[in-house]
This record gives sequence, C-alpha cells and structure tokens, in this order.
Amino acid sequence: MRITRPERKRTSRRGEAVILFSVAGTSFAVAVSAVEEIRSTEGLRPAPQGFAGFRLPKVKYLLERERRTYFVVDANLHFHILPSRATRVLILRHAPVAVLVDNIEKTSEITVLHALPHAFEGDEMQWYRGLALFGEQVVPVVRPESFLSKGEVAVAQASASKLAAAAASPAPGAASA
Amino acid sequence: MSAGHANSAALGEGARSFVLFPLGKKRFALPADVVTELARPDRLQAFPHTTPRLTGVLVRRGHIVPVFDVAQVLLGAGAPARKFYLIATRHFGSAREWTAIPVTGECELTAAEVVPPTGGLPGYVVGLLSLEREIVELLDLEKLAAAEVSS
Repeated sequence: MRITRPERKRTSRRGEAVILFSVAGTSFAVAVSAVEEIRSTEGLRPAPQGFAGFRLPKVKYLLERERRTYFVVDANLHFHILPSRATRVLILRHAPVAVLVDNIEKTSEITVLHALPHAFEGDEMQWYRGLALFGEQVVPVVRPESFLSKGEVAVAQASASKLAAAAASPAPGAASA
Repeated sequence: MSAGHANSAALGEGARSFVLFPLGKKRFALPADVVTELARPDRLQAFPHTTPRLTGVLVRRGHIVPVFDVAQVLLGAGAPARKFYLIATRHFGSAREWTAIPVTGECELTAAEVVPPTGGLPGYVVGLLSLEREIVELLDLEKLAAAEVSS
C-alpha cells in the first residue's frame, strides 16, 4: 500500500477533538470521531486456537458487541513495543476493530497536525497521520484504519466464521441421538 | 561552535567551509552549508517507529526535528554518550528538513581543501580533509542514512 505524506506544512488549522491514550508509557492520540466507545477489558474472549493462522498475531481477543464481532488488536504488538498492562479497549467506528491500550489519559483538542518528518520511512508512515504538540510534548496521532486494514478484517472475519461453523457442526464420528 | 584555526586565506581557491564534529576519539566533517546550529542537550522524545538509526525527535523553535544517530553507523554500538546535537539540513527530493545529529563534544568550523577518498573507505565518506594534525572524513548525510549499521 502506498502511503502519501500530507503537505510538509502544518496541515490543519481547524480544531480536532482527540483522545490521548497510553501504551507502555508512550502517549498516542486518536480522533474522537474515530472511536465508538471506550470500555474496560471485561467481556474480551481470547482469540480461539487457529484463529487467522499466523497472519494476524496482533489480534489477541474477540469482543461480541451488539451482535457484532470485534477483532481486538493488542497495541503493543501493533507498535512493536514491549508488553504492558492493558486496562481499556477503544472500539473503533470505521470497522469491527477494537484496540487494547493501557490507559485513557484525557481528551483534548489539536489545532495543528504536523506531518511526520520525511526521515521517518518505516511502518510509522502507515501508523500515524502526523504528530501533534501538546506544549513541548510530541504525540503521534494514529491512523485508526492502520490497526487492521480492510484486507486483514476480511481475513479475520473469514477465519472467525470458519471456526464458528466448525464449532457448530458435530465432530466426525460423534454418535447421534 | 568554535571557529577553526585553519586560515582559508592561506588555502587555495578550492577551499570550502566545513563543520568538524567529534564522535568519541574521532572527528568527522559535514559541509558547513548543511549545518544550521549546534544545540545543547535537549529533551529527546521517542515514539514507536521502525526506521533504523532514528532515535526520536526534538522540538526546536516549534519544529519537530528527527534525531539521526550517525554514531551507530560510524562507531557501532559502543559509541560514547552524545552530549550535543548538530542540527543539519537533509534533502528529500525537493523538500528540505532539519535533522539532529547527536555528537560527543564541541564542534569546530574550519576551511580546508577536499581530497578524494582513498579506496576501501565506506561510500558515505565522500572526501578527506587534510588538517594540521589529522585526516578527517567528509560525510554525505544521505549516503550515511542508507548505510548499514556497523557491529
């Protein structure tokens, strides 16, 4: 996937409400408009054995909500950082995806989104829309759709359906009543 | 940044200005026109990324400046602690961007003639400065950014 950078200049002058959350001591921001709900980790179900094979190791849990299955991404695995203690789940609005994070710090507003400097050329180009300054603190503003791409969601949904069908069908050789 | 003792008037027409910066016991050079300033230690801020050799960012006068640790390439993992940041300009196509280079001490501005690098030197060494008591390698930042980290 080709990611184009925003203009090098400050890209936004309008205020944008964001939620600041932390993972392993690092703060991140996500647009309020991208988040459907923030909840505790209650009700998370570990992804069943065989779920999505080895293709989506960052999807650690599933969450049933309003008769919809959400795929819960471990933010530590997504950002390649050391494990930490997750206590909150951000349920995203654009797709059946949720993100496991340590804490919600606060909500705030950004008026300027700085483009990621050109020197950054790795996965962060997909992860972040840009960088925000809160005083002197630099906070990456995440691209919500990067947690699971459309293709990855399709893989997750297919895998979940397959496992559900296998669980519902009687085991071969099982005696019928 | 201190002015060097090399006297450009005493050098030939081909003399150019360079900034010499120390990394451990060695000094390296960058063309003076790519160097913006030498900054005191600042608050390095890190966030997850996968770009090699970038260790984080600094905020300088409202700019977010990536920190490019050239010592990993030039000296390997055993590089001594860096004390200052040399702020240099990198080019990305038509765009220009500041980059902070951690260095281990004071820098020096000097004028010297460049001689071609000898064989066997890494590709990011684009010339040599023959100074009074030392030969200093002249670096190309873009080639350095593309170089493998030495072990």
